[in-house]
Amino acid sequence: MSYYFGFMHRFSSNWKIFIQNPLGKAGLALLSLFALMAVASFGLHLLGPMYDPMTGVDPVVSRSVGPSTSHWLGTDFIGRDILCQLLEGAKIAFIVGLASAFISIIIGTVVGMVSGYAGGIVDILLMRLADMVMVLPSLVILLIIAALFGQLNIWMIVFLIAILRWPAVARVIRSQTLSLKQRPFIEASRVAGASDIRIIFKHIMPNVLPLAFLYMTFRVTSAILVEASLSFLGFGDPGQISWGMMLQWVWSSGHMFQAPYWLLPPGICISLLTLSFYMVGRAMDEVLDPRLRREGQ
Amino acid sequence: MKTMLSSADITSIDLYHTWVRVRLKAFFMITVFMVFCLLSCQEKSTKEILKIGLPEEPRTLNVWLASDSNSWKILSQIYQPMYLRDPDTLELIPWLAKDMPVLDRENMSYLVTLKAAKWSDGTPFTAHDVAFTAGVFHDFKVPRYYSKWKAVEKIEVVDDHTVRFFLKKPSAIILSRVFTAPMVSQKRWQPVVDAALKTRKPLRTLQNHKIESPLGTGPFVLSQYQKGTFIYMEKNPRFFGTGRTMAHRRLGPWVDGVIYRMYGTGDVAILALQKGEIDMYWWGIQPGYVAQLTQTPDIELFHNHKSALYFMGFNVRKAPFDDRALRRAVATLIDKEFIVTRLLQNYGIAMHSIVPPGNAFWHNRDVPRYSEGLNRDQRIAKAHDLLKQAGYTWETPPVDENGNIQTARNIRLPNGNPMEKMIILTPPADYDPKRAFAGMMIQEWMREMGIPAFARPMSFGALLDKVKGKHDFDAFVLGYGRLNLDPDYVRTFFYSKNDKPRGWNMSGYKNPLFDDLANRQRAEMDRNRRRELLIEMQRIILDDVPYIPLYNPDILEASSRKRFNGWVESLEGIGNIWSLCMVKPVTATELNP
Repeated sequence: MSYYFGFMHRFSSNWKIFIQNPLGKAGLALLSLFALMAVASFGLHLLGPMYDPMTGVDPVVSRSVGPSTSHWLGTDFIGRDILCQLLEGAKIAFIVGLASAFISIIIGTVVGMVSGYAGGIVDILLMRLADMVMVLPSLVILLIIAALFGQLNIWMIVFLIAILRWPAVARVIRSQTLSLKQRPFIEASRVAGASDIRIIFKHIMPNVLPLAFLYMTFRVTSAILVEASLSFLGFGDPGQISWGMMLQWVWSSGHMFQAPYWLLPPGICISLLTLSFYMVGRAMDEVLDPRLRREGQ
Repeated sequence: MKTMLSSADITSIDLYHTWVRVRLKAFFMITVFMVFCLLSCQEKSTKEILKIGLPEEPRTLNVWLASDSNSWKILSQIYQPMYLRDPDTLELIPWLAKDMPVLDRENMSYLVTLKAAKWSDGTPFTAHDVAFTAGVFHDFKVPRYYSKWKAVEKIEVVDDHTVRFFLKKPSAIILSRVFTAPMVSQKRWQPVVDAALKTRKPLRTLQNHKIESPLGTGPFVLSQYQKGTFIYMEKNPRFFGTGRTMAHRRLGPWVDGVIYRMYGTGDVAILALQKGEIDMYWWGIQPGYVAQLTQTPDIELFHNHKSALYFMGFNVRKAPFDDRALRRAVATLIDKEFIVTRLLQNYGIAMHSIVPPGNAFWHNRDVPRYSEGLNRDQRIAKAHDLLKQAGYTWETPPVDENGNIQTARNIRLPNGNPMEKMIILTPPADYDPKRAFAGMMIQEWMREMGIPAFARPMSFGALLDKVKGKHDFDAFVLGYGRLNLDPDYVRTFFYSKNDKPRGWNMSGYKNPLFDDLANRQRAEMDRNRRRELLIEMQRIILDDVPYIPLYNPDILEASSRKRFNGWVESLEGIGNIWSLCMVKPVTATELNP
């Protein structure tokens, strides 16, 4: 119970710091808006088959038309509703962003903790591996893989982004681990007979997790941008609506300069969602690092 | 301290000012003169140079290796065939040949007389060049030509301008597939061929030979090639067609040269066309650009049919598509109307047979049309009937007891086993969004019947390897963008002997009756009798449906009428050798009537 109250107390005080940050407030508001859009996409089937973002077409509209009462953002080149695609795209952006960021954070955190704690040859090998992966141009690698194997499905894209984006996290977590392992409570645990695995996961991990979550917000941003770039270049998953795929369709069907109602919404959404994650990340940075706080906070 | 100026000083200052003014005037006049000269020179130098945009760099200028359309856009202006299709009637007419070939049925030979043409280096084009070219096709087994030229047993050079082709057996495709091959210069290629024959891989050596300045008989010669930037072709002053009237046209070229510029994307090329940087973009444009281009003054749009076939193919070698009933059911489920009106934006037609309807003489109109005129519910009901009769069952059938359409679940094969997940392979969206999207829609239509279909776009090379090389697939969506007007391809696609790795019978279709008809049509010299055989072949194929013909897109092209006009429209559009021989600079009168 005391642990619960302690957690709630910490959360409450951190929340106060977070919410006082204008960037944090704006980011959270934007993020909530996109979360609402993603949730709304689950109810599209209730509107009828015409509003299925992938296969639903307006029976009387067989080309791209501008906004109307039945299609608030207009239709694409085969008569599909752009707003429905935008809502579905929000869901996919969250899935891709959060899933790939989560996987890359897990990999980065484990590698960073093991590397920092073990030291020696393990540290050298893991950090050189991280250096190698870090300097790989991830978008180019993804494009080559996509060109070799044809288009990638959405989960493959998530996985590939994750395994190319963990090294930066691993480096930060390693440095934090190096500092933590010199602390008395780690020494006390070791003296008490705790195994290395237990020390890493029971004592070090809780102390590095806030930092990992902070980095997760930045990973989300890059994952969303990579997926959108891949899809726009024609290597995305055509069986899955995403904002990048919407941009690909507007481009490949020759409507780039014809249909601003189709071109602008996905582009704006990509920018705003990545911006919102970035702003939330910056605000969280302030929560975790007291040196960044203004006086009185 | 003030300084008093004397009258002499004042005079000298006046003189100085006058001198400065004169200098300024002279400078101004010289500048104006230079600008005028510069503009005049520019006007003169660009006036008769046609600028054409290409979507990609030609992969090679080696005539033995070239297989991509961009390479042939360049090569087709250099290397010429003996016979060429009339752009209006689409009949073959003499090109390098003087007359139509004379058939000697007794000796099974064709006599061809040649025009007095010259290679671009001034040497005469002779019958020896024709025999040499045929020899290279035969000796090196050049992939693009060998299978057709196999029909020729030997070639006799009667004189410098007469050549006789002896055939092994009667062949209906000799004129359309053999005599339309490009001719090369013996003088230029003999040393290369001799050297290649001495190597371990002669064909590879021949194809790897680097061509700096191709020697041809066509209307243009290669002048400059800056890789990745431009290709400049100059008018060939020795072109045999200049001043002659062929296909009711007095041929030029009427331009001094053609510059080809490469544009990676259609958007950039369209913008270049609108800004006047190019006079024509030699590639089909997406229907989405039509509204934008029609509003641009000086842009002319051309809308022409293509000889093409886009289709869904099945692997009939294995379950589940070895069952004709299932293939027919899938053919019934496909809404071709949807594909044409929405994916093609009405710039194309639905295909029902293997031979496009535009090829009217050979096209069979009376093939089974599985989904024509049916709405969604009718298509599902008809497909349900077909499958039910063939013994397929469902956990939840697509049609309930009252005849209402419902969501089908878990289809079972006639042997009671559940139907396994099946993959529809398509090219990727960046290669062809229409085919990728058609595959996805077919997936959805099949799922409405409870068929567990999954469209999977994959890179074109990997797709071909699976479909044509390994035969490791269930179904695919592919297309032939440029079908020959001779319908012998119906045999090629479905002849049982072509069911081999890398063979053209990708579906693995085998039917002895079809094979017999296919062989007979190939040997039939009477056009009408051959037509009857091909009509029957199409009926058999659409009855067995190893392929479901889907659509035939039209070609939309755009040119600027600001500087040049006279483009020749034909099947496949305005990008053809006739246009390049007929395009003329717009005169001042035409610009300001």
